[in-house]
Amino acid sequence: MAGVSAGDPAGTEPPGDGRPGGKRPAGRARRVVLGGLAALLVLGGCGFLHGAHRLESAESARNRALTDAAATDRVAGEVGNALARVFSYTPDGTAAAERSARDVLGGRAARQYQDLFAQVRGDLAEQRVTLSTRAVRTGVIELDGDRARLLVFLDQTSHRGDGEATTAAAQLTVTARLEDDRWRIVHLEAR
Amino acid sequence: MKRAVRALTAHRPRALSSLLVALGLAAGGFAAWAGQDWYAAAHDGTAAYAEQRDRALAAGEQAVLNLNTLDHRDVDQGLDLWESSTTGELHEQLSTGRDEFAEQVREAKTVTTARVLSGAVTELDDRAGRARVLVALRVTVRASDGARTDKDSRMLGELTRTGGRWKLSALGQAPVGGAPTG
Repeated sequence: MAGVSAGDPAGTEPPGDGRPGGKRPAGRARRVVLGGLAALLVLGGCGFLHGAHRLESAESARNRALTDAAATDRVAGEVGNALARVFSYTPDGTAAAERSARDVLGGRAARQYQDLFAQVRGDLAEQRVTLSTRAVRTGVIELDGDRARLLVFLDQTSHRGDGEATTAAAQLTVTARLEDDRWRIVHLEAR
Repeated sequence: MKRAVRALTAHRPRALSSLLVALGLAAGGFAAWAGQDWYAAAHDGTAAYAEQRDRALAAGEQAVLNLNTLDHRDVDQGLDLWESSTTGELHEQLSTGRDEFAEQVREAKTVTTARVLSGAVTELDDRAGRARVLVALRVTVRASDGARTDKDSRMLGELTRTGGRWKLSALGQAPVGGAPTG
């Protein structure tokens, strides 16, 4: 009983049997499925690529501060040393500091420094001011290839003549650029 | 008869089918390659480390800000925030001295606000869940008579990750004129 309709060969024949393209609907369906599948795979692949690109270009991943330990230590060390050299002088030895400044400062920072020194150079010699600067803590905020931003805590000890030394704290955010394989400070901002 | 028809008409579709199969395989290959690329990016240890660094900094700056913010009119809420921003020893210190401190602030009638000027992570141990941060801060205190004083301070914070969140476990001023470290 159950086999009656199932066993009926006519039941399995497509309605359009007899025409030359009788097998087409099944073949077409298979091709549509295949094409659809391929399109889906391509779409999915594009989705994956897009996701990977987003992950790689995410702000946090592009910033190499700490993730590249060697580069982070290097920029922190070079910038700390540069600040110490540029902001340390004796009454008769401001030339050394200014020479260092030409080496390690660039862009706006160099102009800021020149302006500052032009103002105080006379007073420094007259009042016998000695300043010594030390970077006590240096943190790299951002490091992206040849550009870095750092937060530096400085201690600045100054004497006037034979007077007692006073130490003051200074906080700077520094922008540095890697030029000719050396980090140069291009911007300074007191915090 | 049917066989003959199929043999005649099947020539083109078969070529088309095999082309489609090749296309499908190419698409599959592309998808597999792209998926693997994504998997590598998603499971990149450096990216995860960078994310923890940024989270630690954001949490550190916020916690330092919280601990430098207190309004005498709303001491309890302020101190609740202090406690929720901290963990470990610092948390215990704060909760132990809480009542006494709250009383002092209510008496002094001061309002303290702060602004983070800059911050950076100096150390990060992702596995141990520990980090150190530098934060430059401007703290403003308004006394009961309306007098306002600004003070710049530089803080060293130690963070510990608990339950997936970074919290301050130690906080202090960076000493001036002390021994150089880091």
